[in-house]
Amino acid sequence: MTDYITRFSLRQRVEHASVGLLFIVLATTGLIQEFFPMRWAGWMILEMGGIDRVRWIHRVAGIGLAFVVFSHVIVSVLQVVRGQSKPTMVPTRKDFDDVVIVTRYYLQLSDEQPRFDRYDFRQKLEYWGLIFGSLIMTVTGFMLYFPVLTTRFLPGEVIPAALIAHGREGLLAFLVIITWHFFNSHLSPEAFPIDTSIFTGKISRERMEKEHPLEYERVLASGEGKLEGPGPGESRGPG
Amino acid sequence: MGQRLPAWLGFFLVAACVVVGRTITLGAALPAGDLSNDVCLACHGDASASTRLGNGRTLSLYVDHKALAGSVHAGLACTDCHSDITTVPHPAKTFPDEHSVSLAYHQVCKQCHFDEYSRLLDDVHHAALAKANRHAPTCIDCHGSHAIALPAQPRSRISEACARCHAAVAGEYVKSVHGKALIEQGNNDVPVCTDCHHAHNTANPFSASWHLQIPQMCAGCHANKQLMAKYAISTAVLTTYLNDFHGMTASLHRMEKAHPREFTATCTDCHGVHDIRQVEGAGLVAIKQHLLITCRRCHTNASPNFPSAWVGHYEPSLRHSPLVYAVKLFYDIFIPLIVGGLALQILLNLWRTVVNR
Repeated sequence: MTDYITRFSLRQRVEHASVGLLFIVLATTGLIQEFFPMRWAGWMILEMGGIDRVRWIHRVAGIGLAFVVFSHVIVSVLQVVRGQSKPTMVPTRKDFDDVVIVTRYYLQLSDEQPRFDRYDFRQKLEYWGLIFGSLIMTVTGFMLYFPVLTTRFLPGEVIPAALIAHGREGLLAFLVIITWHFFNSHLSPEAFPIDTSIFTGKISRERMEKEHPLEYERVLASGEGKLEGPGPGESRGPG
Repeated sequence: MGQRLPAWLGFFLVAACVVVGRTITLGAALPAGDLSNDVCLACHGDASASTRLGNGRTLSLYVDHKALAGSVHAGLACTDCHSDITTVPHPAKTFPDEHSVSLAYHQVCKQCHFDEYSRLLDDVHHAALAKANRHAPTCIDCHGSHAIALPAQPRSRISEACARCHAAVAGEYVKSVHGKALIEQGNNDVPVCTDCHHAHNTANPFSASWHLQIPQMCAGCHANKQLMAKYAISTAVLTTYLNDFHGMTASLHRMEKAHPREFTATCTDCHGVHDIRQVEGAGLVAIKQHLLITCRRCHTNASPNFPSAWVGHYEPSLRHSPLVYAVKLFYDIFIPLIVGGLALQILLNLWRTVVNR
């Protein structure tokens, strides 16, 4: 009998799901534009009803993602300022030390493994990658969407520069997701086939102990974090 | 002493009489007399031969036999084209005006030139003729009648033929970089009217399909490496355009079945249509001065900064558009670094997992 700890709030789960969905839409409609001279991309654009419609979908989804990401940033900052939550995503000295420990472990120079708190350095890296990536994508996307307004304040050359940056940054985001994120949340031996905690909000006690020992100890000591039985539709057994 | 003929021979003789009789009646339908060219020229070789048209003007009926002998049709008989003439003298013809005269012979050419005639089905001039437009040209209006030469000898003749109706456009063309090279230098590499517009299937240049094929039309020469090397013109003009936002839109609109609601800028929007100038010196200044007006046709309220969003037909480099070049360079290094680093981390992780087992 496994018991669970609630790890993510409803807001966090909704944010993750909407970012995930919007990302899929944006990556699809964006990459086919980036690779439009290739036959498969041209074919997909035509199947979706032509370039004008693809751009329209892309822009609507882009506005959506910008809204989700920046409202998240604003709310999170406000919560930290008001003392309602701790800045658990902010990188600390410990994260850099953990990278060294992990690397030594991988290279079999030591058997010591780092003990993580609420978020490990991989999760922090991906989180900040997403925040800054979204910032770049939003700014350059806005420039491409409103070139006339942009060049009222900036030289014309920023438009073709934004076009390159938007395409390359988007490609980078896509590559990071299909390597890093897919490995950490789907393919890695710990998570295979899918890590459900961001969807259900729950994590088993075993995985919590193993993957976030420092947070687990704090939760036990303070009595925060509800311990519950398996939730409905829980596909994962003990980790 | 009548010898009896065999029955089959009798049958044969009767049949032969029938056939011969038929031949004789057919022969009676052929015109009596000589219809050779000399017979025609006996009257039409007279320089004063003329008739009065319905509109009161005089139509010369003179045929210059020297011009005829020098034409591509030198070997033909008059009646090959004028097949309605079966007797000499022939009945008088009456035409209300000059247009009716050329129209009367418009169908004659297709007896031999059927390929060209079939292409007329997609032709704006032919469509105008079908609508009884009195200004629409017939075969004869472009090619002439008795003094027909190969149309492209010299090529400048083509533009002269079009200029007879399209005077304003021809006036622009002769001043353009293409027209000047053709007329002043006798350069045959440059396009004449028909190279862009075609000869017998002239499309409507105001149609959507026309607009969508402009980049490929210009690329016909401007993406031809051998041809452009002669004039030190970059063939990157096409690729740089196609990689840009407008070029991408144009390519994709062309592939779509439905025509777009609004057109994207193509070659002619910046470079002009018949008045294309050399993109050097004064020509370059003129293009740049005009660019903001060009941009504003779609991007209303564009500021003077806006046209420089188009960095010209250059691949980005430190000299041309350094900002674009820098962004490109940054990502060319940054993407492999990040993705490679993450992939390496994953592989190390898996390797340790395997070792542990």
